[in-house]
Amino acid sequence: MKTEDVYKFEKIQGQLQGLYNEIGTLSKKTPNDPLNKFKLKFINQILISANEFLDGKYKPFQGFEKFEDDELPTNSDVTIILEQYLTCLENFRTDNVSTKDSAYGWFWLVDGKASNLKTTTPNKLKFT
Amino acid sequence: MSLVRPRLTDFHNVPVTQDAVEFAIPFLDEDIPLYVDPFLLWKSPSMQDNSLHLSITNSFNHLGYLFNNGHQHDALETLIRASECDEVGLGVSKAKTGKRIGEKMGGSILEIFKNIPQLTKSGFTHFEEIQLLVDGFSRDRVSDIACNFIQSFLIDFTIEQCEKHGIPIEKTKLENVYDIKANKFKEEITDLPVNPITKKPLLLVPKRWLRSIPWINSDDYFKSFYSTNIHIDGAEFPERVKLLSFNRDNYDIVKTYTSIKEKQFEHCKQDPLFTQIPITSAKGKLNTITKLPTGKTDNADRKYEDNVCQLMSSLMYPHLDFAQEQSRTDSGVLIRDLIFYNNKSVDFLKEIYTDFNCKQIVIELKNVHEITREHIFQLNRYLNDQFGKFGIIITRNPPLKKILKNTIDLWSGQRRCILILDDSDLKMMTQVFETKQRLPIEIIKKKYAEFTRACPA
Repeated sequence: MKTEDVYKFEKIQGQLQGLYNEIGTLSKKTPNDPLNKFKLKFINQILISANEFLDGKYKPFQGFEKFEDDELPTNSDVTIILEQYLTCLENFRTDNVSTKDSAYGWFWLVDGKASNLKTTTPNKLKFT
Repeated sequence: MSLVRPRLTDFHNVPVTQDAVEFAIPFLDEDIPLYVDPFLLWKSPSMQDNSLHLSITNSFNHLGYLFNNGHQHDALETLIRASECDEVGLGVSKAKTGKRIGEKMGGSILEIFKNIPQLTKSGFTHFEEIQLLVDGFSRDRVSDIACNFIQSFLIDFTIEQCEKHGIPIEKTKLENVYDIKANKFKEEITDLPVNPITKKPLLLVPKRWLRSIPWINSDDYFKSFYSTNIHIDGAEFPERVKLLSFNRDNYDIVKTYTSIKEKQFEHCKQDPLFTQIPITSAKGKLNTITKLPTGKTDNADRKYEDNVCQLMSSLMYPHLDFAQEQSRTDSGVLIRDLIFYNNKSVDFLKEIYTDFNCKQIVIELKNVHEITREHIFQLNRYLNDQFGKFGIIITRNPPLKKILKNTIDLWSGQRRCILILDDSDLKMMTQVFETKQRLPIEIIKKKYAEFTRACPA
């Protein structure tokens, strides 16, 4: 990871989380409604950027890159995929952060070493 | 090539939808069931329409002038020539030709210019009032007279629209063009589209002028004005002829009615050529469809077909114009199907137009539990040069794998595409019709995409 990758990653993760919350709400109300073209265009953009980080073992599903416009994915289809991507992004983050001896908290690994870029505790280590 | 219920544009392979053009697309073998309402020209915000209305009224009042100044014969001849306008193809006639009025009728129309002093003095402002004064003067006459007096404008409009959309025009003779300077009808040779079957010239009419009933009409006069304002409670209603002669004797009452209608002009709207069913009604239709049993129990097949027909024609609007519902028999079985014009309005429609030569889309309705090979072959036999090689079957349940395989094999062997939609697709179409997130036609596109993906590369 480079410093700019960290910023990019954080942006994508934030955006995906936002989409997940929104589409998740829609999906609770009308799970079988197809998503409109406008929303789909932006979701696909973000998925493509996320794919840049999630190659190989991190990729949620082999063979899935983005939604096909003419297949009319429904709200619940989109919610499921977004959730999978969020989990995989979190896995990726967990593997790229660490603690430091000199400071309290979690930091991003830049070029293999703990940097000064602060981040949150990996989800799986959080007390719930 | 013969099309089902051919329209001028489809005949010339000009792919436009009715919704996208300014004129009413004429059918080649029947009339458009709407009329030109001069009142729409009067109320229009456009000065051009207003002046055309003025010119219609002036030309009509000129007949009165002629009649009252000793040129009775000229007036009668002009009126009779003005009374029918076949070129515009409006009305309910199946044969696209109408009859002019007779001399007796013409005479009684012209008489009112003499017998009603207000008209003798200043003529009509809305000549539709004649419907309230003369027996047998119907709404199609109003429309035809209006069209004839502004035929010169309609010629220009037609040529302009034909050039814009690439509809072929050719030299042809018009018998009845009104010369506003000489106040006479004359013949004119000009370039116009012609009906390829009868070789007669066609005139296009702006759809903003069309209504199914004129704003000023005798039924409305009787119901909303006469019976509430003039009629004395308890008295017997006069019969039609008596009412008309009452109107002639009391022209002021007719004038009052017209001025009320003038004040209500905002309610006077053009009638669309096709009206979509509202969302609630679409949902109701879908509910009826899904609850129907399969097969022929209690006429379920008939009900299924009626409901699907109404639902589909509305769902597909404005991307596909509905042409006709028709029945045919194939090996002793009655088959009902829906025909749509393919106007290439969506990218996938363009594709099926070029790949499958599909000028009209056939949708076959099958209220059966399970679609069989025989059903596929029935449609396949029907897909000839007329329709191209693309068809859709609407049925109740998703088809079995072997049937889908069958349609793929038809593609491999004969390059034919048969899509099968079921209740769940109709449901989804209605859902997107309601939520407006997507277009119902995209569901068919999705089916088409799935089909092409399943085809061997």
